[in-house]
Amino acid sequence: MPLYLPIAELSMNIFLVIGMGAVVGFLSGMFGVGGGFLMTPLLIFMGIPPAVAVATESNEITAASVSGALAHWRRQGVDVKMGLVLIVGGAVGSFFGAQVFTYLRSLGQVDLMISLAYVVFLGSVGGLMFWESVRAIYRQYKGIKPKLKPREDRHKAWIHALPFKMRFRKSRLYISALLPLGIGMFVGVLAAIMGVGGGFVMVPAMIYLLGMPTNVVVGTSLFQIIFVTALTTIFHSVNTQTVDIFLAVLLLVGAVVGAQMGARLGLKLKGEQLRALLALMVLLVCVKMGVDLVVEPTELFSVGEAGSH
Amino acid sequence: MGKLRFITWLVLVMLIGQPALALVTDLSNKRIEIRYSFNGADLILFGAVGSSAVDPVNDNFDVVIVVRGPEARTVIRQKAKVGPIWINDESLTFPSAPGYYAVAASRPLSQIASDAVFASYGIGFDHLPLLANTPRGLAAPDGEFRSALFRLQSNSGLFRQEQDSVIHVGEGLFKTDIRLPANVPVGDFLVETFIFKDGSIKARNRITLAVDKEGFERAAYDFAHGYPFWYGLVAVFVALTAGWLAGVLGKK
Repeated sequence: MPLYLPIAELSMNIFLVIGMGAVVGFLSGMFGVGGGFLMTPLLIFMGIPPAVAVATESNEITAASVSGALAHWRRQGVDVKMGLVLIVGGAVGSFFGAQVFTYLRSLGQVDLMISLAYVVFLGSVGGLMFWESVRAIYRQYKGIKPKLKPREDRHKAWIHALPFKMRFRKSRLYISALLPLGIGMFVGVLAAIMGVGGGFVMVPAMIYLLGMPTNVVVGTSLFQIIFVTALTTIFHSVNTQTVDIFLAVLLLVGAVVGAQMGARLGLKLKGEQLRALLALMVLLVCVKMGVDLVVEPTELFSVGEAGSH
Repeated sequence: MGKLRFITWLVLVMLIGQPALALVTDLSNKRIEIRYSFNGADLILFGAVGSSAVDPVNDNFDVVIVVRGPEARTVIRQKAKVGPIWINDESLTFPSAPGYYAVAASRPLSQIASDAVFASYGIGFDHLPLLANTPRGLAAPDGEFRSALFRLQSNSGLFRQEQDSVIHVGEGLFKTDIRLPANVPVGDFLVETFIFKDGSIKARNRITLAVDKEGFERAAYDFAHGYPFWYGLVAVFVALTAGWLAGVLGKK
């Protein structure tokens, strides 16, 4: 059944759209990730203009993060103060990211930027995650138990030297506000140019850089993602008018159903196995994007996006 | 004297009698509405030719039908290898290229008339008057970019040449299909019909066709483009509500 998308200005099969949402939702439910890094490339691959894919996916991530964030909120799993500092940084990053996006779109280089961003970030995050999980699986196999460092030693010296220290009670931290501001800003830029929530950068940064306790990491990350993707949606809407609400809602319908099933399967797998699988998937998307950049295209010419003035 | 008068008479007839045939055409649908279920549209164009308004023409004539969509700024980019990767390098902007262009004919164009005839009426891809922005101002585009425009637009179904044929029904009646793909631009379309006989034009007419978004689709598009900030805010609100609702339903 075809459905005309008024903002994307093309017609897509409604079941295909819901199915894409379901598949990505299944994977994100299984691995406990947002899925933006899978959905945006998939949308582009299906022929949705990159600008529409990125902006619409921001909108979908807002929706997809609400129920998770609420669940963590009820469990006291959100450090609101930390979240707010991350959101301020995220707002600034997202604003500049959206400006850069609009500028590059007018030059016809937005596809290149999206591809490069995916190759660099998915490549490095996926690589690190893969290495870490393989090491964990190997250690478990050999029966080696890694020694945990005491919490006080987790921060590097340069982090303690930063000014504007702030107390975050829920995270039991006394650190410079510059650090979460900077992380938030970086993730905001990624959200605006890649159509992702940025959890894949945010969560490791919270654990390894900020040293936040794991029980507040996911909740705070989701809390921040809701606001930053909401702002990104508005920035893209104002700059390029590329947010397709209908596409976003349809993807969400599929994603909700898929995520329920994925979460059930995820419970049956071990943590490090899941991480290794997720890392492989991240690397796969990265390699696909990378190959497309390097291999000579069969058609060297392309028609610029209709809205690029 | 008689001979001269005859020639004068002949010249006069030729000048006045240029559109010697009467031609009427109509479309099965003159207004295409893009709604949620829109997946392209097929129209039928009917036409009738007569030597006068009442006498149908039955001897051989050819029909060429040209459909032109609204003109829009179109950018063609060419990829080039920079280091190890392929990136968009050179680009050419056509300030007003038709967003849709279709040519249907009763026979292959080359059998209907000479290239020069088609050129003088701007019929066909090769004769479509197209200008591009160059450093020297508006000028004829580079051939490679021009043919890329036709190739790319043909691949997405927006340019069609000699893919649809005009069928003679008989008694001067003819018909053809006009196919508009799902990605057709909105705006006013011109449908021009040319009647050829012995390699020259005997009659022509033009009718219009409108393609527009309707109802909810039109409202959503206008809202997104007219009030982008409020549209963004509504999008966020919809997402928050849908996400919350999904969470509630998912628990049950």
